Amino acid sequence: MGPLIPNGIITGDWNFVIAILVGIAFGFILEASGFSSSRNIAGVFYGYNFVVLRVFFTAVIVAMVGLLYFDYFGWINLSQIFILPTFWPAMLLGGVIMGFGFLMGGFCPGTSFTAISIGKIDGLVFTVGLYLGIFIFSESFPLFKGFYNSGNLGHVTLTDVTGINAAWFAFAFVIIALAAFWVTMLIEKKVRKKITEYKF
Amino acid sequence: MNRNYLFLTLIMLVLAAGTLFLKKTPEYKQIKPETLLWDIIQPTRYVSTDQVAKMIIDKDPSLELVDVRDVNSFEKFALANAVNVPLDSLLSPVSQDYFGLPGIKVVFYSNDDIAADQAWVITRRMGYGGTYVMKGGLNQWIETIIQPKEPREDEPYTAFEQYQFRKGVQMYFTGTKVENTIAKKKKVVVRRKKKQVAASGGC
Repeated sequence: MGPLIPNGIITGDWNFVIAILVGIAFGFILEASGFSSSRNIAGVFYGYNFVVLRVFFTAVIVAMVGLLYFDYFGWINLSQIFILPTFWPAMLLGGVIMGFGFLMGGFCPGTSFTAISIGKIDGLVFTVGLYLGIFIFSESFPLFKGFYNSGNLGHVTLTDVTGINAAWFAFAFVIIALAAFWVTMLIEKKVRKKITEYKF
Repeated sequence: MNRNYLFLTLIMLVLAAGTLFLKKTPEYKQIKPETLLWDIIQPTRYVSTDQVAKMIIDKDPSLELVDVRDVNSFEKFALANAVNVPLDSLLSPVSQDYFGLPGIKVVFYSNDDIAADQAWVITRRMGYGGTYVMKGGLNQWIETIIQPKEPREDEPYTAFEQYQFRKGVQMYFTGTKVENTIAKKKKVVVRRKKKQVAASGGC
């Protein structure tokens, strides 16, 4: 059946409508998970708050395992999914810059907007810096265009590179994520004296 | 320790382990047998050599000629801008990049139209639209385009028009010159009367 637009079930005109709905849902989940607070986000680097790790790992493993089942039941064809091309040197450097930015600013681009939506000044300052960074990057792009486009591996997945079935990667990632949940929970209990354990 | 966390962890673990046992048999997308049968009995998939020739000459960007013969035959002779997709490699992912492009008319041809017809049936069954077969294949191409026969005198006017078209196309593809049908004019020889020379001499 899916993906819906490539298979002609809905037209490409729906792209922006879906983007808005997914964006609203994404923003809501970020805010509801406490990501509009830079303390929660930066806490993972200082080892006292691991909510970021748990929320992101939960999203990743649910999506990974869910997509594999969706593909099996024929609800989505994974071979038709768009895969971003891998430019490994630029992505490596970009990851390091993003990590430093995350640590110093206490937000990532998405969470800074959720912070603005609840009226936080630090989120606003971060976003101004974000646009400044985009402007500087765009203006100086010709200087590092060669590096930006270097090391293109194409639309590859881990399965393409290693030949190992995607399910094994999903399984390994779930094990790592679940282990991380329990270990970080124990760390938090030791480090933080006043900890609220959420009940559901 | 919250019991719910333990429960969720176990569910996630079981679901992740379950993905290791998912064996998906590759399924080809295909159309309904009734639709395929209906399409097969329609002659609309055939295009004539004249139509193909006109599209080549017009440099029609929507035309994609696909030669389904083997590589050796393709290298010996092929139509202009044709791509070679031998019948036995029709299902390879590289070959399938040629099919199903919006606005592109894929025209299969082979020596006759049997192999081309088979390629058409397979691609049609896989759900690709916009595919056609060059009627008669390259044999028909030689008969009609490269060596067109002059119609008999009692044939209708359209046959003569078609012949003229084919002669033009023949010129385009082979570079031969059309014989001038108009009889060569004979050089007019002007005979002039000899001027009478005035009588001279005399007695």
